[in-house]
Amino acid sequence: MPENPATSDDAVLEVRDLAKSYPVRQGLVLKRTTGHVQAVDGVSLALRRGRTLGLVGESGSGKSTLARVLVGIEKPTRGQVLVDGEDVSTMSRGARRELRRNVQMVFQDPYTSLNPRMSVGEIVAEPYRIHPDAVPRTGRRKAVAELLALVGLDPDHVHRYPHQFSGGQRQRIGIARALAVKPRVLVCDEPVSALDVSVQGQVINLLEDLQDELGLSYLFIAHDLAVVQHIADEVAVMYLGRVVEEGDRPAVYKCAHHPYTRALLSAVPVPDPAARSAGTELLLEGDPPSPADPPSGCRFHTRCWLARRLAAEQGLAGDGPDDVPERCRTEDPVLVPLGRGDGARGAAVPHAAACHFAHRAAAFDGRPAAVVPEDAGPDVGPDIEPDIEPDAGLDAGLDADFDPEATLDPATGRAVLRPTRPDHVTETVPDPAVLESRER
Amino acid sequence: MRGMTGMEIDISGAFDPAGPDDDAQGQVPTERTAGATLLEVDDLAVEFRSDDGAVRAVDGLSYRVEAGRTLALVGESGCGKSVSSLAVMGLLPPTARVVRGSARYRGTDLLALSPAKHRAHAGTHVAMVFQDALAALNPVHTVGYQLTEALRARSGLSRREARRRAIELLDLVKVPNAAGRVDEYPHQFSGGMRQRVMIASALALDPDVLIADEPTTALDVTVQAQVLRLLAEIQAERQMGLVLITHDLGVVAGVADDVTVMYAGRAVEHAPVRDLYAAPAHPYTRALLRSVPRLDAGADGDRLPVVPGRPPVPGRVPSGCPFHPRCDMARDVCRTDVPPLADAAPERSSACFFAAELLGGARA
Ligand SMILES: Nc1ncnc2c1ncn2[C@@H]1O[C@H](COP(=O)(O)OP(=O)(O)OP(=O)(O)O)[C@@H](O)[C@H]1O
Ligand SMILES: Nc1ncnc2c1ncn2[C@@H]1O[C@H](COP(=O)(O)OP(=O)(O)OP(=O)(O)O)[C@@H](O)[C@H]1O
Ligand code: SF4
Ligand code: SF4
Ligand SMILES: [Mg+2]
Ligand SMILES: [Mg+2]
Repeated sequence: MPENPATSDDAVLEVRDLAKSYPVRQGLVLKRTTGHVQAVDGVSLALRRGRTLGLVGESGSGKSTLARVLVGIEKPTRGQVLVDGEDVSTMSRGARRELRRNVQMVFQDPYTSLNPRMSVGEIVAEPYRIHPDAVPRTGRRKAVAELLALVGLDPDHVHRYPHQFSGGQRQRIGIARALAVKPRVLVCDEPVSALDVSVQGQVINLLEDLQDELGLSYLFIAHDLAVVQHIADEVAVMYLGRVVEEGDRPAVYKCAHHPYTRALLSAVPVPDPAARSAGTELLLEGDPPSPADPPSGCRFHTRCWLARRLAAEQGLAGDGPDDVPERCRTEDPVLVPLGRGDGARGAAVPHAAACHFAHRAAAFDGRPAAVVPEDAGPDVGPDIEPDIEPDAGLDAGLDADFDPEATLDPATGRAVLRPTRPDHVTETVPDPAVLESRER
Repeated sequence: MRGMTGMEIDISGAFDPAGPDDDAQGQVPTERTAGATLLEVDDLAVEFRSDDGAVRAVDGLSYRVEAGRTLALVGESGCGKSVSSLAVMGLLPPTARVVRGSARYRGTDLLALSPAKHRAHAGTHVAMVFQDALAALNPVHTVGYQLTEALRARSGLSRREARRRAIELLDLVKVPNAAGRVDEYPHQFSGGMRQRVMIASALALDPDVLIADEPTTALDVTVQAQVLRLLAEIQAERQMGLVLITHDLGVVAGVADDVTVMYAGRAVEHAPVRDLYAAPAHPYTRALLRSVPRLDAGADGDRLPVVPGRPPVPGRVPSGCPFHPRCDMARDVCRTDVPPLADAAPERSSACFFAAELLGGARA
């Protein structure tokens, strides 16, 4: 629990049921709108003071779109953006400009987001043109030099141009620019994706220092879950414009309940050749579907490994993209809290997932299972036992290469699969986080 | 796995891989015996002309590629991974030139050939997937057309034959519904699918060696996992030699057999992958490995370990050991003398004066 909920729990930035769609136009001369891309479709999130919210998801899931709406570059199609509890759309122009100053963005692509005709000094000082009162005119030269040093660049390079810097250095220029007007919130869109690991750590540590010193809040967008784990206090996972799972960082990382989150986690390469997986990752087939034409029912059903396995269990073929439980094809799951025992107690953000069968994901993928509480989430299907044993239902129809006997590698803490031995008694392997809470 | 057998196609038989315009030295054995040396780069150095004089981008790089094995070329941005590969392929920009070293493909030093012969020879037997692959596809041509450009140029395939081959290649890299998608344009493909197209196009001439320059850096983890598995499968099936250029030590751990670590244009460590991760023989490797954020590490509040300082800029490489300003083991000798890449243990080499100490310390 945060010690001081009054100051750290209130949201500096919040979105409610936010949606953003773009028209799809066809035809070269007479452009006609033939449909809409639902880039963000009903997202609610809260960014708390001095905290970091990690936003992960595949390319095209709507992370950057959400970021642009948050900083006011784009207007939402639906929903509200609240700053300090105030609805931005009802603010006066002056108040909105002040907001723009407080919420700054670090862009995804350091190659296109820096004007090639401006020197580094001009780029970093650019925000002062829009927000002249942030730093007095006479102090700006010094401020720029300080900012450059702060992000690990040589202050003597103020007169250089972006092309004279490496991609990683350009990313830092972008961070320096965002910090120029002393914002309270930084929306960082993949700020370290283009950096080498060696430099990545420097920038992340820098962001963490700045947060401690200045009480900054970060929305930290990344596709690298290992990086997000390092910096985030809370995590939200997006798929096709929706948040499919959210919660405190340990809950999401240690007891992920959405099959998509579990697939993402299993796909992260482990820097250890001894733990080289023998094809045990939950490989997702295919690419994410187009947000212009999202699948019916659960948007993840065309790629969901859990749905296939459930279908197989129910005697369906479990092979094609549509061989999934009927519910997955027809009913859109909502984001619901997972109930007690899933890290929800004492958590700042209730752990929630948008999957009809969230409580079965752990049991099915051979990775360590979270213990499911008796009063499991409200959305457990009628034909499913809520307090199912992790190794239940593994008899008929499952993939032949799927081995339920997962165990934890003491060195890495990851699940490793052992070859099945007939005389071996299957043990339930509890999640380390759950063990910890039991010991208390 | 579903549908696998239907995809095992052979693209090597239908045309002469040496090609009509191949040079006289092209009496190349086509069989690949696992472990046979295919490509050997030795003491390669490349310079760029610039306003401040010549700038060394690669300065003494050596590595060996064997059939059926994957060599990872690892190092920070700007250390010369791409430039050295372009030199091997004969594709350096006009401002760059090879100043030293050799690149022997099955005994033939590619760098000693005329530029045209170099490109023809390398283009046939050594293929490269370029770092900016996603931008490399031409938006105005169909995917099928681009896939078979090299094939048509070299073996005079008919349009129909070329289209059939393009479908086979797309199938090979597991693009679903290949026959339907061969006539589509690049913008109709996702990033992951475009990367597959680039890999397919590199495989069109059934190369002995594939150099893949950051083939998954622009991809999502889930798609990255698909593409890496695909590369590993194709490589094993064809006993290709694979050079995987990456800065991601997680990826390296998952797919490489051997690793060459580069720093400031040169190789500083070479080792089988397990040995390298178990006990690095160079302080730079050790620092790199420590700085990888790990999913399996407890993340609560601890700072990410970093390599202090910045990599040197070409043209301003420090004296002595180029790593010395960032090295936590540096001593006086490191500031004055350049440590050569020398044997540090069986199958391993390191360019650090104190490699033995490092390895001994790890064992103790
Ligand atoms: N201006 C636009 N016009 C039309 N479609 C758009 C626009 N901006 C984004 N989209 C679409 O909206 C969807 C979400 O895009 P967005 O850039 O937000 O994804 P992302 O999660 O940031 O992905 P990435 O990881 O690739 O940056 C994509 O399908 C994209 O093609
Ligand atoms: N066309 C060029 N003109 C001048 N210098 C160049 C040119 N291309 C590359 N260089 C320099 O050569 C060095 C090596 O570049 P290279 O592209 O090989 O790095 P890399 O290891 O592939 O890095 P990255 O991981 O960023 O791709 C760099 O310092 C770069 O600045
Ligand atoms: S609702 Fe069905 S398709 Fe969607 S994530 Fe859950 S199991 Fe998969
Ligand atoms: S030679 Fe010296 S400076 Fe270079 S890596 Fe070894 S100890 Fe460090
Ligand atoms: Mg984005
Ligand atoms: Mg490169």
